[in-house]
Amino acid sequence: MRWLVNVFAVLAVVCLVFSVPLGLAIGAEEASAVVADADTALRGAFTAALNAESVGVNVSGLMGRMNDAGVALTGARVALAAGNYSDAVSRAGECKGLADGVAADAGVLKNDAAAQASLWWVTVLLSVTGSVVFVVVLFLVWRRFKRYYADRLLGCRPEVAA
Amino acid sequence: MLSLGDCRYAFIVVGLIGVLVFNVPSLMLFVHLPGGERFSELYVLGPGHMAEGYPFNVGAGVDYSVFLGVVNHLGESACYEVVVKMRNATEPLPNATSGVQSPLPMLYGYEVFLAEGQTWEEALVFRFDDVAFGANVSSVGRIRVNDAWMNVNETAVWDNVNNGYYYQVFVELRLYNATGSSFGFHNRFVGLWLNMTSSM
Repeated sequence: MRWLVNVFAVLAVVCLVFSVPLGLAIGAEEASAVVADADTALRGAFTAALNAESVGVNVSGLMGRMNDAGVALTGARVALAAGNYSDAVSRAGECKGLADGVAADAGVLKNDAAAQASLWWVTVLLSVTGSVVFVVVLFLVWRRFKRYYADRLLGCRPEVAA
Repeated sequence: MLSLGDCRYAFIVVGLIGVLVFNVPSLMLFVHLPGGERFSELYVLGPGHMAEGYPFNVGAGVDYSVFLGVVNHLGESACYEVVVKMRNATEPLPNATSGVQSPLPMLYGYEVFLAEGQTWEEALVFRFDDVAFGANVSSVGRIRVNDAWMNVNETAVWDNVNNGYYYQVFVELRLYNATGSSFGFHNRFVGLWLNMTSSM
């Protein structure tokens, strides 16, 4: 009786092993949709980076990461065209992960830059204060110089040319 | 010795320069100087990263390598698509004057993201397969661009003037328009003329 149980157990394992790839098999339509999602995510990340740049953020680093995502998307398209759907889905997932990361970081950087930009009045205040202080100091120097100039002029002795 | 009037002018000039210097940071917030001409560069270099050694006489089963480059001078970040295509001498090229891209199918596309002033450079490796020669005609069945095989089924007739079967691998530059959420031809393309030979 025990051998019968063993046979059933082996059969169950074999069925399980062969059914896993069937369950995980990815069709062309599904892979194509995943690649399209990754493409949309990448464009969205680029738009987010552009928005951040418009408020003064340096996005050079973000562009480097987006190029990595672009390489993954190209790989996904090549795999999709070659009929390697699982690879296409895997690469598209990599692309989407990178793109989502860039979009999130661009949003944070944009908010930080916007907060900094809202402090423009500090710059204006410092400029005006600096200008006023400079003019006042220059005026005081001018008064002192004028007195020195007059004293020096009064101290001159007239000479008669021969 | 300078007169008191001359000294007064000197103080006034120094005062004005000082006020200007102190206000430069504030002026920079509101005054934006116009940038230079806005454009993008697209170039192709030989295998040694120089403008020489480009593949010309080609055959089946051999890898040929060049380098593609894009430089962004658009004044802001840009998203490009660098599209590789193939044609024979009679098929249409892009029309840079009317801004129309070639209707031929894309063999391979690079996604490129560049901030202002940044440069992108990447290898383009291609190989021909299923190459056949007949009476005054040659055909190419497949091309591999980097790691992607494509069926092209291109034919070229014998060119009596230049003595060869000529094909062109060319590259178009497309620019992403974030407002319209679409790519458009960016009026830039470069190409390589290739003479298909039977023995390499």
